[in-house]
Amino acid sequence: MRPPIDSRPPFGLMVWAVISILLSLIFYSAPLRIANGPDLMPMLPLITLFIWSTVRPRFIPPIVIFVVGLLNDVLTGGVLGVWALAYLTALTIARSRDEDGPSREIGPVWIRFIVVLAIAMPVAWGVGSLAIGQLAPVRPLLIESVASGLMFPLLALLFIRRRNLRGAFGS
Amino acid sequence: MAIGGSSRRNDESGIRFSRTFTVALFILSIALIVFDRPQARSPALASMRAGITDLAAPLLDLAAAPVRGLANIGPYWDNQARLTEENAELRRRLNETRYWRDLALQLRDQREIYEQALNVESATTQDRIGAWTLGDPDGPFVQSRLIGAGARQGIGQGDPVLNVYGLIGRVVETGQVSSRVLLLTDLNSRIPVMADRSNARAVLVGDNSEYPRLDFLTRNADLQDGDRIVTSGDDGFMPRGLPVGQAQRDRQGRWRVRLYSDQAPVDFVWVFPFEPVRSPEADPATDNTESGDAELDAQQASADTALPDTNPEGESE
Repeated sequence: MRPPIDSRPPFGLMVWAVISILLSLIFYSAPLRIANGPDLMPMLPLITLFIWSTVRPRFIPPIVIFVVGLLNDVLTGGVLGVWALAYLTALTIARSRDEDGPSREIGPVWIRFIVVLAIAMPVAWGVGSLAIGQLAPVRPLLIESVASGLMFPLLALLFIRRRNLRGAFGS
Repeated sequence: MAIGGSSRRNDESGIRFSRTFTVALFILSIALIVFDRPQARSPALASMRAGITDLAAPLLDLAAAPVRGLANIGPYWDNQARLTEENAELRRRLNETRYWRDLALQLRDQREIYEQALNVESATTQDRIGAWTLGDPDGPFVQSRLIGAGARQGIGQGDPVLNVYGLIGRVVETGQVSSRVLLLTDLNSRIPVMADRSNARAVLVGDNSEYPRLDFLTRNADLQDGDRIVTSGDDGFMPRGLPVGQAQRDRQGRWRVRLYSDQAPVDFVWVFPFEPVRSPEADPATDNTESGDAELDAQQASADTALPDTNPEGESE
């Protein structure tokens, strides 16, 4: 059995999980683009869900994934259910591939996140296109995917304690 | 801990959740997508969405506040060297604008007199409502903005929204303290417009590109590059004459519009609550059409009887 990731009591950790997920939704939806700069906002809700489902899987049951996806849809004004379905699909597949527990080294975790992105984005694009009745543009999704993939390690390290930096996810 | 009590393990790694519950959530997601499509959006879902955005609005405003400050600092340092020159230019334009303002007021007075004389009631906009943008997700499926004013401030569905340069879209969802604005560039945006110079009519259709296209132009429409495009008000839901942009051809020769509103970020906006012109069917006064006609007939008949029959032979002529 692996040592615990964090010595904080589970209740405190759970509160931190809820806060971080809410913050990710707020920052993802808020107008954070400076002047006319490019919109390089990564998929913060997906990153946060993925990190918590890796670090503390029991904090992220399917209902949490569904609710976060739904809030994402509401706050971005999109069709309800699109991101909920995309997140559910990607994270359920990712979990089913890790029955013995995911690796907690940053390298493999990063690769797993890329795989999750590679599932979530096409699902969102396909379902979203069906919902709006025409092909949705691919460019915004590609930009978000690249930004998410590149920024993932940085954001992931924010979730862990300094002592765990070498084995990023608590190995 | 597993949902539904079907977990295989209790440790953190390899935890499994109820498969039935997960499948149910998948089905629920698909059902939501079906019932919330733009073509068939359920009013119940729309009001739920407005309620949640109302709750999130203060948090989004709080998150955006520091960036608004940064956005103001950036251009200041960038343009420091040009500020004096720009200031002089702005003063010159201000003087010029005073003349146009006086002219506009004069024309407004004249119009009011004509309308009174002709007994014409035209659609009017009420006072504008200012609001900050709280959310600006430019996603692949929707291009909208969440603004920090709603029904409580007097905003209603369909109201036009402008920034300092021109029209940016219209309100599609209204909460108590927040509203969602569908941008002109969104796939679902359709606004009737016209060329200011020639009155050539078209429909401005968003296609998620930077320059929405002009559809339903007549074959010989009198349109030229650089023509000023304004709202035509043909749909009855938007006032006539709101500035939209400039017409220009794309590489395929299709007409598109370079939006005036693109000259500045959509940060602070104005909503113009608009009382649309009611159709005769919706206007209760039209219910009296028959009685009105009868009254007119009665008046005509009394006038006819009052008139002396001066030339009965005339009928035979």
